[in-house]
Amino acid sequence: MTRSVRLAVRQALLEQRSFWRSAEYALFTFGFPLMILLLIGAANAGSHLPGTAIPNTTVFVPGILAFGVIVAAYANLGTKVAVLRHDGVLKRIRTTPLPSGAYIGGLLASTAATVILLAAATGLIGWLAFGAEPRAGELLALASTLILGTVCFAALGLAISSVISSAESAGPVTYASFLPIAIISGVFDPTFSGLPGWLSRLVAAFPVKALAGVLQNTYAVRPFPAWDLVNLGLWTVAGTAVAVWRFRWHS
Amino acid sequence: MADTSVIVDRPPGAAADDHAVHVRGLRMSFGGTEVLHGVDFDVRYGEVFCLLGPNGAGKTTTLEILEGFRTPSAGRVRVLNVDPAAQPARLRERAGMVLQECGFPRQARVAELIDMWRGYYPHPRPLGDLLEVVELTKARKTQVRKLSGGQRRRLDFALALAGDPDLIFLDEPTTGFDPEARRRCWAAIENLRRLGKTIVLTTHYLDEAERLADRIAILRAGRIELAGTTQEVAIRAGLATRISFITPPALRHGEVTPPAGIDLVPRGPESVCHTANAAMTLRLLLAWAAENSLGDLAGLAVTPPRLEDTYLQLTGVTPDSCAVQDNGART
Repeated sequence: MTRSVRLAVRQALLEQRSFWRSAEYALFTFGFPLMILLLIGAANAGSHLPGTAIPNTTVFVPGILAFGVIVAAYANLGTKVAVLRHDGVLKRIRTTPLPSGAYIGGLLASTAATVILLAAATGLIGWLAFGAEPRAGELLALASTLILGTVCFAALGLAISSVISSAESAGPVTYASFLPIAIISGVFDPTFSGLPGWLSRLVAAFPVKALAGVLQNTYAVRPFPAWDLVNLGLWTVAGTAVAVWRFRWHS
Repeated sequence: MADTSVIVDRPPGAAADDHAVHVRGLRMSFGGTEVLHGVDFDVRYGEVFCLLGPNGAGKTTTLEILEGFRTPSAGRVRVLNVDPAAQPARLRERAGMVLQECGFPRQARVAELIDMWRGYYPHPRPLGDLLEVVELTKARKTQVRKLSGGQRRRLDFALALAGDPDLIFLDEPTTGFDPEARRRCWAAIENLRRLGKTIVLTTHYLDEAERLADRIAILRAGRIELAGTTQEVAIRAGLATRISFITPPALRHGEVTPPAGIDLVPRGPESVCHTANAAMTLRLLLAWAAENSLGDLAGLAVTPPRLEDTYLQLTGVTPDSCAVQDNGART
C-alpha cells in the first residue's frame, strides 16, 4: 500500500512536470480562465446586481472559480486520458508492474494540484483586482466545495474520455461538451437572464450551474444551495459509475 | 506433423519450471469461435524462441495469453513459473513486453522516459546501460516524437528491459521497417540475447526467424505445425536434403550406369538427388564414384532443407505475399 502511494506521488510529480513543459496545455488551462476573469471582471467592476447591493464581481469571481475547476478537472483530464489511450501509453503502462491504482491515482493527484493552483490564482486575482472575497467563516465551505467539484468533474472527465474516438478530437469534444452549458449557466455574466423556462430548467440539471451556485454562496449571501449540492452529488455518482464501467486501457 | 510431439529435447518428466515458458493444451475462443486449438510448446531459459506464422494464425493471441492480458479458455500456461492470468503483476516484474504499435507520452525525452520506467520496477537496470544496449546514448536528450521508426522501436526495447527482466516478449518487432532499420533492430535483439535474456518473439518474416531464433514454432490456423531448430523443423517437415555435383562426362555419355538405390536426376550439367538420409546417400554416392573411377565428384554440394521450403509447404503462403499482406491486423 505504501509502495502504491509512493508510486502515485511520483507519477503525479511526473505528470505535473510534463504538464508545465507542454506550453499549450499549461497556457490554455491557466490562461483561458484567468484571461476571462480579468477581461469580464473589468467590465463588471463597480456594478451591482440589479436591485441589490451585491457587487457583480462577488458573483462573477466564484463563477470563474467553478469554470477553472471544470477546465482543469474535466476538460484537461478528459483530454489527457483520451490522448494517452489513443497513443497507446495506457496500454504500455499495463505491461509494467505499476499498479493501476497508483497510475490513475497519480493522474488524479496531478489534476488536483492543477485545480489548487488555478483556484488560488483565480481567488487571489479576484480579491486583489476586484475586491471579491469569500464571506467570513466560509473558507472551509469554499475549500470543501472545490474538492467536491474536482471529484465530480474529474469523474466526468474520465467518463467522457471513454467516448472520444481519436486523439485529435479529444480537445474539441471535451470543450464543446461543456462550454455552451457554461455560457448559458451564466458563469461569464453575473446578470445573465432571460432564458426560456424549459432551457433554464435544463441548464439547472447540469452540474456547471450547480457548482457555480455553491461557490457563489460562499462569496455572496444567497439561499442555501441544497439542490445544487444534491445535483453535484448525483453527477459525481453517475460520472464515477460511467468512468469505472467504461474505462479501457487500450483504444 | 502431430502438434503434440514436436519438442524432442524436453527431458521426460521435466517439471514446468525447467522452462521459461511452458504451454500445454492451450485453447482460446472468442465468442464461440476457437482460434487456438490446443497449442503446446516450451521455451528454454536463455534462448530466442520464435513463433512464426502468417497473419491470423494466432501468434499475437498466444503472446497476449503468455503476457497475462488474456485468460485462455483451456490449457496450462506457466511463464517464469507463474500463471500469467492469475498473477500478471508478479510476472511483469520479471518479464518485459514490447507490444505492436504502442505510443509514448508526447512530451517525454528518451533518457527521462527510460528513467521513469525504471521507477516502476523493484530492481531496474542502470540507465546508461539501457541506452547502450539499444544504441540510443546519443539520442538520450531527444524528444520521443522526433525519433525515427527504428529508434522508437529500440526505445520500446529499452523500456521493456528497464526492470532487468529475465524474459522479453517481442510482438512482430520489425513489421513495416526498411532494411536498415530491421538490421539495427536485429542487432538490438542480439544484444538482448547476449545479456542472457530469454526472448519470445512473433514474426511473419522467415528471414527474421532464421536469423534470430534458436528454435522456431510454426503456428498456422491456431495449431503448432512444427517446432524445433530451423533445421529440425525442415527435416521434420519431411523435406529432403539436396545433393548435387557436376555430371561426370562418363555418366553423361552412358559409359557408367547411375548408382543403384539413389534417385539421381541429371539436370543439365548438374546431377541432383533429394534424400531424407544425407549421410547414407553420400556414402553410396562416393562408393559408386570410387568404383567407377569418378574421383571425388567435382562440385559436390550438400544443401540442407531451408526454412522457407518448410514454411511454404506448411502454409501454402509465399513469404513475399505474406509480408505484403501485412495490414497491421492483429493475429
